Amino acid sequence: MSKDVFTDATKMSGDRTDDDAIVVMDNVYKRFKDFEALKGVNFKVGKQEVVVVIGPSGSGKSTLIRCINRLEEHDDGRIIVDGTELTTDIRNIQEIRRETGMVFQNFNLFPHLSIMTNVAMGPRQVRRMPKKEAEALALELLTRVKIPEQADKYPAQLSGGQQQRVAIARALAMKPKVMLFDEPTSALDPEMINEVLDVIKELAKEGMTMVVVTHEMGFAREVADRVVFMADGEIVEVGTPVEIFDHPKEERTKKFLSQIL
Amino acid sequence: MTWMRRNLFRTVGDSLLTIVFGALALYVLWGLAQFVFVTGRWEIIQVNLKILLVGRFPEELLWLVTGSVMALAFWIAAAATSSLTTKETRPSLGIRIWHAVQRFGLLAATGLLLIALAGDVASVIIGGLILTSIVMGQLVGLLRRKIAALRTISSWIWHLLLAAAPLAMISATLLQASVDLWEGFLINFYIAIISIVLSFPLGVLLALGRRSALPIVRLISTSYIELIRGAPLFVLLLLAGVALEFFVPSTLAPDKIFRAVTVFTLFTAAYIAEIVRGGLQSIPRGQTEAGKALGLSTTKITSLVTLPQALRNVIPAQIGQFISLFKDTTLAGVALNVLDLLNVGTAITKQEDYLGQGLIYEALAFVALLFWVGSYVMSRESQRIEKRLGVGQR
Amino acid sequence: MSSLPSAPPKPPLWRDTRVLRWAFQILVLAIVAGVIYWLYSNYQTNIAKSSIPTDLRFLDNPTSFTIPGNDLNQSQPVRDAFVQGFYNTLRVAIVGILLTTILGTLVGIARLSKNFMVRLVATSYVELIRNIPLLLLLTFMNLAVVLQTFPRIEDAWLPLDLFVVSNRGIAIPWFEGSGAILLAILATALVVTWLVVKIRGRVSDSTGKPARSLVWGGPTFIVLMIGGWVLLGYDWVLPFVDDRATSGGLRLDPSFFALLVTLVVYTSAHVAEIVRGSIQAVAKGQGEAADAIALSGGQKMRLVILPQAFRIAMPALGNQYLNLIKNSSLGATISYFELTQIAQITVGNGSPAVPAFTLTLLVYLMISLVTSVIVNIANRRLALVER
Repeated sequence: MSKDVFTDATKMSGDRTDDDAIVVMDNVYKRFKDFEALKGVNFKVGKQEVVVVIGPSGSGKSTLIRCINRLEEHDDGRIIVDGTELTTDIRNIQEIRRETGMVFQNFNLFPHLSIMTNVAMGPRQVRRMPKKEAEALALELLTRVKIPEQADKYPAQLSGGQQQRVAIARALAMKPKVMLFDEPTSALDPEMINEVLDVIKELAKEGMTMVVVTHEMGFAREVADRVVFMADGEIVEVGTPVEIFDHPKEERTKKFLSQIL
Repeated sequence: MTWMRRNLFRTVGDSLLTIVFGALALYVLWGLAQFVFVTGRWEIIQVNLKILLVGRFPEELLWLVTGSVMALAFWIAAAATSSLTTKETRPSLGIRIWHAVQRFGLLAATGLLLIALAGDVASVIIGGLILTSIVMGQLVGLLRRKIAALRTISSWIWHLLLAAAPLAMISATLLQASVDLWEGFLINFYIAIISIVLSFPLGVLLALGRRSALPIVRLISTSYIELIRGAPLFVLLLLAGVALEFFVPSTLAPDKIFRAVTVFTLFTAAYIAEIVRGGLQSIPRGQTEAGKALGLSTTKITSLVTLPQALRNVIPAQIGQFISLFKDTTLAGVALNVLDLLNVGTAITKQEDYLGQGLIYEALAFVALLFWVGSYVMSRESQRIEKRLGVGQR
Repeated sequence: MSSLPSAPPKPPLWRDTRVLRWAFQILVLAIVAGVIYWLYSNYQTNIAKSSIPTDLRFLDNPTSFTIPGNDLNQSQPVRDAFVQGFYNTLRVAIVGILLTTILGTLVGIARLSKNFMVRLVATSYVELIRNIPLLLLLTFMNLAVVLQTFPRIEDAWLPLDLFVVSNRGIAIPWFEGSGAILLAILATALVVTWLVVKIRGRVSDSTGKPARSLVWGGPTFIVLMIGGWVLLGYDWVLPFVDDRATSGGLRLDPSFFALLVTLVVYTSAHVAEIVRGSIQAVAKGQGEAADAIALSGGQKMRLVILPQAFRIAMPALGNQYLNLIKNSSLGATISYFELTQIAQITVGNGSPAVPAFTLTLLVYLMISLVTSVIVNIANRRLALVER
């Protein structure tokens, strides 16, 4: 079926072809008891693309990315991540989880373990890296997010911004192919938002494929290759940041943006 | 003076309450003091002290018990003082002594009382030895804090080394002296400790089962937990007393202690399960999700992320359960005729020399004292741990 | 449009998460079933060897014992003895729960009193009782207090000339006449009083004057009770000593008394802690808000703090009630003929142990279940009211 260019989320930015698609979602449905969170979503993310997803609460944007790493099970349609399809096959699920990294709104660091152990946990337990190697990797990543001196502390001793940066390091430790961010700065005090956004921008510059659900429009303008607007479980409009923020075409998009900006 | 006015005599009604309750308290205390110091005939306790505490434990092997207590005291003292996270700033000596008195005064006083009752040189020596092991333990703990080389040993290994001594002593005691002869206060401890240790893994499994998404597992766990929690412990013990032998192959001849431990273990497991389940419920879902997102398997998530946090959160409740269990071991005395402290206490009043003299008050008072001190000290330590956990964590 | 890779083959069973879930459950079920089967087959073999019957026929056998203070005679079936035991358990449980709630709440509030002496006494009481085993307390009550301290019948104490206290028990004044009718009078009085309170509430709502339900309801209740009493010819009977026995009044036998007092004292210590904890858990802000709108101390307690505290305490209180019911089984150690004691005696007289005790356990389970349901309903009603 034909779609207007600005509602087709399967068209990736730049000259990326289907071979460059890291994440493919085809006609995906997700139902919760009495409520349909995703209604036939078609979505693609290409290699090194930064896609920012915006929308009102309840629009299904969190559900969208949580389906990618099977934190939610989709009811219909197909999801393919880096060539592996997400089915009930446990081997596929584990593989996809290894290749995707997720950063949560509430950080979800493990409070009973040190920062170092938090970051090294993935490589040690899942990729079976020896302890020394994993810790060296952890230190390297902590340096990258600019808090190597916190390695021996515990999450409770760090500020929110620092904790979220550790969470990013923890996800990066698995060397994922795509990073998923679920409103990474929504739980932060305003003065700490920038330090986290800076880290994410760095990652984008270095070429990481990312899907970011956020309300930070300034960030989206700066970094996104594509902006996807979702509402009521559907993708309503897609475009470059300029297209979406400055020249929205759909009514719902206009309404949402007027409420936020 | 103003303190008295504010807290005791604020209004007329208040003053009346003070006088009434004050009089009541004085009456009770006076009667108690009279009983303890004047009219009480404590000879029965003095004579029977050994069987009250350890039953018919062979005399010649009693040094094993003393050794175990010393090793335990050493371990606890060392573990407490070697904790690397205590602040380096220490309050003045006077305050430290006051703290120590508050914390250990009760235990020390009880120990002194026992020595006084025994009234022989041997018990004074035993008391001295135990005191020495406590001091040694504290010194060793201090050494760990001060000497850098010792600090590098990981906590796990350190505690394991320390625990080696008591474990060795206790094993020796178990091997040398048949458990049949362990009676008195000793058997109350023995049953309680073994039961809590054995019930723990079962309880954790049941808790995980009850929270499982798999319906059959959930059903089995919930049924077990609810059935046990609805049953009186006493009836279960009675049942085990007459019926346990039917459920096991006839080659195993279950003795009293075996039956007691079996019932207490199965019983406590259900309560531990509920406690752990509460702990698991308090862990935010995000923790499991973070684990899944990293690619950890469910087993790894449970064992590395959720369970450690849950267990740490419910340590006070678990200690509370142990204290209950400790007190409930007296039921084994009446249900299975295990000669625990309470049973021995009532039995000694029927000895020839003391029959019919109304010495039951003295006997029960002594038994009550020992249980009360044990229970009170444990619950106070539990409160301390609760406070420390609350501060250390967030 | 885009070309998707072809759909992958269905995952092999051993990797399919849906299959894995069920396989795990079936495994667990198999293990549990296996254990149960092993226990059961052991039981069967061992029982067959000892030729003890395993069904419930023993319930029809004659009891060959009597229950003091009861008309159960030796030829009645064991079943009747069990029923009697059940009633005795209920007796001590219901009275016990009532008294415990009252005493526990009072002590709990006392622990928070501004008066130092009251606080001291209450705290000492709670700390003393909570740390000693129930059995110890019971033994003390029975052996020491009742059997040794209470006097023999010839020298019975006669406090206030209304009671007779001896080692045969405590006799209290009781009424003479039909108990059922008295209950009917009580029910009627309660209903009428409730109506009066409701009417006063309505009046107060519309006129704004205080309802003073106590002033209206109290006397109504008293008048109705006394009226019914007098009109229907009820009379008090005072107990007295009559040649080595007590006559008249209601005699509470010593083991009932000892068990009741022990259970009440022990459980109320725990209830006091729960009450204290829940009052403290009601946020300080609530008290401050009540002060801010100038409620009196009594009003603050009654209207703001206690209702919320009660709601918080309900589940834990329910737990204590269940504990009390289960602890009543210790009556067997002092020859109070509640359910467990009956079971023990019939087993001693030849009834098969496993069916007898299993039946006993099932009865306790049933009582626990019913009590839990009642507590849950109360809980839910309290919660709904605030929604």
